[in-house]
Formats: sequence, C-alpha cells, structure tokens
Amino acid sequence: MEEESKKNQKSSRRTFLKKGLIASAGVAMGSGLVSACIDASSAGTGEKVKVMTTEGEIMEVDKGLLKLPRVSRQESHKGIPGKKFVMVIDLGKCKNARKCVEACQKGHHLPKSQEFMKVYLLQDSEKTSPYWFPKPCFHCDNPLCVSVCPVGATYKRTDGIVLIDNQRCIGCKFCMTGCPYSTRVFAWKHYPEFDEDKEPYSPEASSPGKEGTVSKCDFCPDLIRVGKVPYCVSACPMGVIYFGDVDEDTVTNGTETFQFSQLIRDRAGYRYLEMLGTRPCVYYLPPVDRQFPVDRGFGDLNENVKNRYKNTSYSKKFKP
Amino acid sequence: MENEPNKLLKEFAPQLEQTSIQGYAWIIFLLAVIGLGLFAFITQVTHGHEVTGMRDNVVWGVYIVNFIFFMGISYAGALISGTLHLFKTAWRKPIIRMAEFITIISLLIGPCFILLCIGRLDRLYYLVIFGRIQSPITWDVIAISTDIFGCLIFLYLALLRDLATLRDYEILQLPKWRKKLYKIMALGYTGTEEQQKRLNRATNIMAAMVISIAIIVYSVLAWIFSVTLQPGWHSTIFGPYFVIAAVFSGSAVLIVCMWVFRKIYHLEEYITKKHFVSVGLIMLVLAAFFGYFTFSDYLTKWYGSEKNDELLIQLLFKEFYWPFIISNYVGVLLPLLVVGIAKFRTITNITLTAVVVIVALWLNRYLIVVPTLESPYLPIQDSRPEWLNYTATWVEWSLTAAGVAVFCLLFTLASKFITVVPVAGLTGETKPEEALV
Amino acid sequence: MKQVLIAYLYFLGGIFTVLHPDVSMAQDKNDSSTGTETMLTLKYLCMSNDSVTLTANLSVRRGDNILSLRKAAIEFFTSIGTMLKPAGKVFSDQEGNASVKIGLAGLTGNEEGIITYSAKFTGTDKYSPANADFSAKPARLQLSFKIQDSIRVLNVTATQKDAGGNTVAISKETVLVYIPRLFSLLKIGEITLAEDGTGSFDFPNDIVGDTVGNITVITRIEEHDKFGNVQGNNIINWGVQKQYYKAEVPSRELWTPIAPLWMIITLIIMLAGVWAHYMYAVYELIMIKRLGKKDKPLL
Repeated sequence: MEEESKKNQKSSRRTFLKKGLIASAGVAMGSGLVSACIDASSAGTGEKVKVMTTEGEIMEVDKGLLKLPRVSRQESHKGIPGKKFVMVIDLGKCKNARKCVEACQKGHHLPKSQEFMKVYLLQDSEKTSPYWFPKPCFHCDNPLCVSVCPVGATYKRTDGIVLIDNQRCIGCKFCMTGCPYSTRVFAWKHYPEFDEDKEPYSPEASSPGKEGTVSKCDFCPDLIRVGKVPYCVSACPMGVIYFGDVDEDTVTNGTETFQFSQLIRDRAGYRYLEMLGTRPCVYYLPPVDRQFPVDRGFGDLNENVKNRYKNTSYSKKFKP
Repeated sequence: MENEPNKLLKEFAPQLEQTSIQGYAWIIFLLAVIGLGLFAFITQVTHGHEVTGMRDNVVWGVYIVNFIFFMGISYAGALISGTLHLFKTAWRKPIIRMAEFITIISLLIGPCFILLCIGRLDRLYYLVIFGRIQSPITWDVIAISTDIFGCLIFLYLALLRDLATLRDYEILQLPKWRKKLYKIMALGYTGTEEQQKRLNRATNIMAAMVISIAIIVYSVLAWIFSVTLQPGWHSTIFGPYFVIAAVFSGSAVLIVCMWVFRKIYHLEEYITKKHFVSVGLIMLVLAAFFGYFTFSDYLTKWYGSEKNDELLIQLLFKEFYWPFIISNYVGVLLPLLVVGIAKFRTITNITLTAVVVIVALWLNRYLIVVPTLESPYLPIQDSRPEWLNYTATWVEWSLTAAGVAVFCLLFTLASKFITVVPVAGLTGETKPEEALV
Repeated sequence: MKQVLIAYLYFLGGIFTVLHPDVSMAQDKNDSSTGTETMLTLKYLCMSNDSVTLTANLSVRRGDNILSLRKAAIEFFTSIGTMLKPAGKVFSDQEGNASVKIGLAGLTGNEEGIITYSAKFTGTDKYSPANADFSAKPARLQLSFKIQDSIRVLNVTATQKDAGGNTVAISKETVLVYIPRLFSLLKIGEITLAEDGTGSFDFPNDIVGDTVGNITVITRIEEHDKFGNVQGNNIINWGVQKQYYKAEVPSRELWTPIAPLWMIITLIIMLAGVWAHYMYAVYELIMIKRLGKKDKPLL
C-alpha cells in the first residue's frame, strides 16, 4: 500500500498525461454549461486563472460527495436548454461489480434498501445465455408514471429527464404501479441516510429523501450542470454505461467516447421492452463478446446480494 | 297519512326508543375494535408505512383490496335499490332501506382505506389544488365525491316519507332533540299531491343518476388498474368486470343484512323467504355474470400465454391456489347451486352462500391486486423475503377489522335513528304500487 | 489483463501487511509524525496560442478512498536549469484541482528547449508537503480545412522552435483528431505526420455540429516524450446541422402538464350533466319544503 501511494506521488508521466486529457476537454470546449472549468479565452500571462476560495482551513472532500450547486424546485422543471440526454448500457461488459449502485447510493444519500440503479440477472429463455442487466430509470419519452401522477409531482423536462419533486409527492404510489420497469422506490420510513445531506432539497439532486414519497434514478442533472457524467457512469470499472446528449450524437463512459448513432448501428443497440410503447431514453447493447463469464458476477458479492439471484433459473444451475 | 298512528311504526317504535344490554355490549365491542384500528393507524403514522407489509414491489396491499371491496358493496344500494325502484318491483319495500344504508355507509368507509395507503396524508389537499385531469386518481376523486353526494340525496329522498311519519308519530318516547331533528329533516312534508308528485319525480331522476354514476365510479376504479401496463391489470374487460363484481358483492351483503336485522328486530313478518329468494336470484344472475367475466379474463390470458401472463397464472395456481379456488370456483358455483336448485333454497342456505360470496369476492380483489404486483415485467430479485412476497401485518388487519366495525357501528346507529324497514310505504294494507307512482 | 495484474498486486500487498504487522505499524508511526501523506499530480497541456495550462490535483488516501483536498495552496513554478520562476499560487477547489495558464512568451528552455514546470504543496501540520514536476518542449499544432475534389480534407501542421529560434517541423508523430462534446472529446480520427510535419485527414460528413453546422475541431499530440500534450483547434462549418430532438410519434400528451382537450371537454360535460340533475333534485326538495310551509296555516 505504501508503495502504491509513493508511486502515485511520484509524478508518473503516463498517468497524469492520461488524466490531463479528460480535464482539458473542459478547457478546449469552454462550454457555457460548465461553470467550474477554466476560462480558455483569458490570455496566458502567467497569472492565476482561477481562485476558488480564499486561504483557510484545508478540507478533505469525498469525491462521491461533491458539494454541487442545486437549482430551485421551479428551475428544476425546465430542463437544461438544448439538450436531450441518452444512456447506452453495454451488456457485454457488465460483470455485476455493483460500483454503479454504490456510487449512486452514496451520491444520493440513499439507504441500503433504496437502489436507484439495480442490477438484474436476466435470462430471456431457457437456452439463451444469461446476462447482467443494470437498470436505471429509462426516462421514457412517453412516461406512464408521469401520465398517472395525480398532482404533477413527477414531470418530464425538455432535456428528456423525468424527475420527482418529493415536496409535491403525496405518496399514492400510482406511478410505481404505472412504471412497467419497477424503477421507482418508496421511502417506507425516515431513513437515517436522509439526514446526511444538509443541503436544501432539489428535485435535481433527489436528496435529501423524504418519508412517504417516491424517488428514482434522476440521471444526475446536478452533475450534468457542472459538466460531469452521472455517478454510475464514472463509477463503473468496466465502462459499461455510456451517457451523452443525443442531439450531439455522442455518448461517453468517461474514458471512451463514441458517436451514438454509430454505436447503436454497429452494436445492434435496442431498448428494453420496446413493445410497451414507453419509448425509453436508455439503450442496451446486446451481451455479445463478453469480457467476463457471467458467473464472475457472483465473485465478490456479499451473501445478501448473492441471495438476490438465488431464485433465477441460471443461478439454480450454477454451482461455484 | 296522519289519519291514524302508523301501525307499523307502533310495532317498530321500541327499536328506536330503547337499546338492549346486548345492543350496548355490541356497540362497546365495535368501539373496542375501532380503538385497535386507531392504535394501528397511529403506529403507521408515527413509524411510517414500514409497519405495513407493503414494499417497493407490492406497493398496494390489503388497504386497496378493502377500498375496492367497500366501494363494491356500496353498489348494493345504488344499483339494486335504484333498479328495483325504477322497475317498481313490489317486494322491494322492506329491504330497500337496508340497501341504501349499505350504499352510503360503505361509500364513506371505502375512501378511508385509500387514505391509509397514501404516504403523505398531510398533503392530501394537493389532490384538489394541483389535481391533474389526466390521472385516473383525479377521475376517482371526482367520481367518488360526486357519487357520495348523489347517494346522500337519493337516500334523503327515500327517507323523507318516513321522517315525516316519525315526526307525526307523537307518542314516540324519544329525547326532544331527536324529535326536533325529525321535524327539521322532514321539511314539512305532509304528503300532499303536489309534494308527492315532486318527490317521485326527484326520486326517479336520482335513481337513474345513482345507477349511472355507480357504473362510472366502479369503472374508473377498474381503470386505475387497467390503464397501467402491468400484465395482470392491463385488460379491457376490467371496467364491466369490476361493476359486476361490485353488484354481486353488494347483493350478498344485502342478504346478510336482511338475515341479521330479521333476527334482531323480529322482522319475519316483513322480510320473508320470498325476499331472500328474490335477492338470491339477483345474486345468482350476478354470480353467472361474474363467473363469465372471470373466466373470459383468465381464459384469454391463459390461452395466449404471453410470458408475463403465464407467470401470473402460474403464481395464481401455485402460491394462491386456495384463495383462487375459493374466489373463482366456490364463489361462483355455490350461489348457482344453492339458489338455482329449488330444494336448497332456504333462508339459512342463501345467507350462508352470501357469506361465502362476500369472502370469495374479497379474495378475488386480493388476487387482482397482490399477485399482479408480485409478477412484474422485470423479475423481483431481492434477498429479503418481505420484499419478495406480500404478507399483511397486524396493522393492516387491525385497520381492516376497524373498517368492518365502523360499517357495523354506523349500520347499528342508523337503525336506531330510523327504522330499517320503511314504515311510510307499508302503511296499513300493502299498496306499494300506489305509494310511489 | 491490466486490471487483473493490479488486483493481483493489491492482493500480494495485503498478504504482506498481514504477515508483517510490525512493519506496517512502524510506517503508520512514521506517517503521523509528518502529517497525513498527500499525493500531488500535475497535468500539462500546451495550447497552440503559445500558452500552457497546468492543472495540479491534491489528494489524500483514507483507507480505500482517495479524498480530495480543498482550499490547499498550490504554488506553480517554471524552471530553466536551476532557476525557479514563480508562476502563480492557486487554491485547490473541492475536487482538489488547481490550475494556471502560463504564457510561453519570454520563457526559454534549456539547450534543447525543454522547460520544466513544477507544482508544490508546502504542507501544513496535518498534511505532508508534496511536489510534482513535468518537463516538455513547447510545440504548436495548426489546422486548416480544404475541399479537394469535393472531398473535405483536414490538414495539420506541427512545428517546434529549434535552438536558434527557427520554426522547424515535427515529423512522424501521431495526431489525434477530436470533436469536443458535452462531457468529453469525441475521437474521429488519427493522422500520422509526414517528414515535413504535415498530415491530412478525410473529414467525415456525419458529425453533428451546432444548429448552423459549425464544429470545433481539436487536434492533439498526446503523451509525447518530448512535447507532452499539444493541442491545436479551429472551427469549420462542415457539421450536420443540429436537429433538436422530437418524439418519433406525435405525443399523446397525457404526460404534459395540461390534459388533452377532449378529456377536459368530456369531463365538463359529464360533471355538468350529473350535477344539473342533482340540482334539480335539490330544487324539488326545496319546493317540497315551500309547499309544506304553505300548508301549515291550513292545519
């Protein structure tokens, strides 16, 4: 361990060069969205370009718990202008590492029983191959959950994101039965994790949670606003999840960036349960060219998580 | 009308005037059950909905089952009394009041159960101030409130003659406030030709309205389920299916009420076997319809055997085997046999059948709500047993018991306020037809 | 493969710590005397407008987590030979990042033209000091666009300054072509430079630009031993015009804030019909009451 950190401290040329690429993307673009990045237009004269804070006590900040600016409830109804978000999940690469679930729960201050991202073990039929199936909210373009909400607590924005306002939600749970993908979760009591978040509530952050209301995956618009991809995307060690703006025809998993249309065309991308007519904004790439055998997904799971899959037909046959 | 003290009323007066020790014991028992329900409710409010058996997959449980059930029996009055009234059926007189009571009382209890299911009761008024017309829940709120108003008006119209009779029956030994209440509520109705004409006109219109609104209310209730994409719910047949199931359960509850009040208030003379057989025959016809709808719904699901429908039917025949058999086989065949075969048609048999039908229909709603939620499109993969399968907790059962207790209590109190058999229409020699035409 | 190797190394490390508890204890002690050990990394990007962007990242390890240090003062220097020239002091943001932009004018490197940049965290009572440095020679990438025989071609020229200050070509290097996107750079191709430092690339015609079709094109030499990261960018109107998303089927509008008109009309008609009948029934009741009053004097 000691050696590892020393290695990190010594400025290993390759690693920082690599990291530099991602960070400097912001520089090059000078995107109006990204307020935290460096202003590329100011002439380089050796002056400081960015002073975030004045001198003071040094603070340790958990990377998963960045203090992000939060928009008001009204503002959260509008959506990020000129954007339309899309997610692509490569089933061939998922090995149920569950880092997406962990990062998401940490980022949204969720208790163990509330998972915005769920990983299923699916097998379409007896003879077909089983595969791991990470499932966020599909942010459908014809969202039944939004149609059935009696008070407008859940809504679809111009950027395609479906959000829930837990200060409006009355907890009738109709949206939960309306969603055919079992995406939504309910706060059955006040979980202690809700108190971790001291920031004011914003539907864009889906945090802090509230007892007796519904919540779900939100595509992390608070992260998008500072030019970052959602928690699950950056957390995945396999780069399974791609995210991007479909108008821009680009998706990225943080390390690789693809043209969305090309990726869908070349890899036969599809949407789950297309026949339901919900028109999801999440696409899947079929589980071909596996990087790992499926049973690798059982590897490091704790007993509780492993037991989830014990009733699946594949798991019954599989004896590690 | 005021020519002589009402003969019937003279006979029924003791019901209104005094309550027996058993009667008080009964009321105290009911209050105790309601108290337990209140305790359960407080537990649910303070500890959160975690104290119920509902979880993220089965988000609706016994509460919604009770909601559908009570809304269903509210149909007894609406459709049965409304139809009997419009068709001027002669034998309806002694039982029509009970049917109307069932309607209004269960209509008040039903919506309370949906409130128990709501996570944030403190925001209930959002349904009005932020209501969205697209949501079937908004339709339901509008339809149920409209229905309650309609049924109240209909009940009041039906009570008016009796209220006037009670007002005019001066020797009744009742506290002053009650006599005054009768007087106010009777609206100065004296039975003049003009008044009768107007009353009949209003009653006819409201009978028609109540029937149609009840159909709408129950269809809207069914649409809450069938507009979703859940495999067991997404069915076009649900509207009429729910309507038929509702009247069916209403007729059964009516038979049980007839039996109970016949025993308690010794109404053998007025509620005869003829009434039991007549309502029993209505129940028989409805049982046949109900069986037909059930069969048709499950047949199409089973025959086509779409993957998720197949899973649902497997679940119904495995984990829910006995409830399924009781609700959809026994509940349909028993009334057909008992009422259908003349030899079996005794008052006791018909009443017992009605009890079975009530249980069967409650189970039927349970089988519509719970197994569907337990077999969603994406399989439930969870290690916690309570998140996999729904089991109602003591909180839910207590509140269910409290709901039944409130029903009984309100019925008891109503029967203390006004006779369960209309006295005005049955005055002297029976001439029911003339009384209303 | 790489992932597996790293996991294996961690595994070995773990075994080592378990077998030699004394050693790890001693290390802990050593750490606490100098404060928590910090890690500083430095990223370098040479822009073709004769400036360099340096981004330093400061973090600490806590168990399995790496935490960023916020509000820490990072000092930047440029050094030629043994001389250190301050280039600014920046406080790290909540992700532990601090960046400066340094003008290359007036900076001359060593005899090979190489400039060394360094970042320094002086440390506090709680945190140990840390240093990072990086050496590279300034270079320049220039882009031009041309349509040759109705094919769109992107031309790149890479240059550097020799000891005499003359501009000379950088040859035989790989240049990557990117389009900046919302979260990252989209790679659309690679160019290998010729002897004269130029290279060309047939520009694809399915790249989405902005609403009028403008695209920013970024070219880069990456992770070069001598030049580090070099970037050049330009804008060209060769993109597909951006079409804002429209639902593929006309929306049924059930999820919009306002209900469809037919629904509102149906509801109003039904409610009006029903309540009109209620009103009529109530009206009849009122009339019955009036008639009752009229009757009274007669009694």
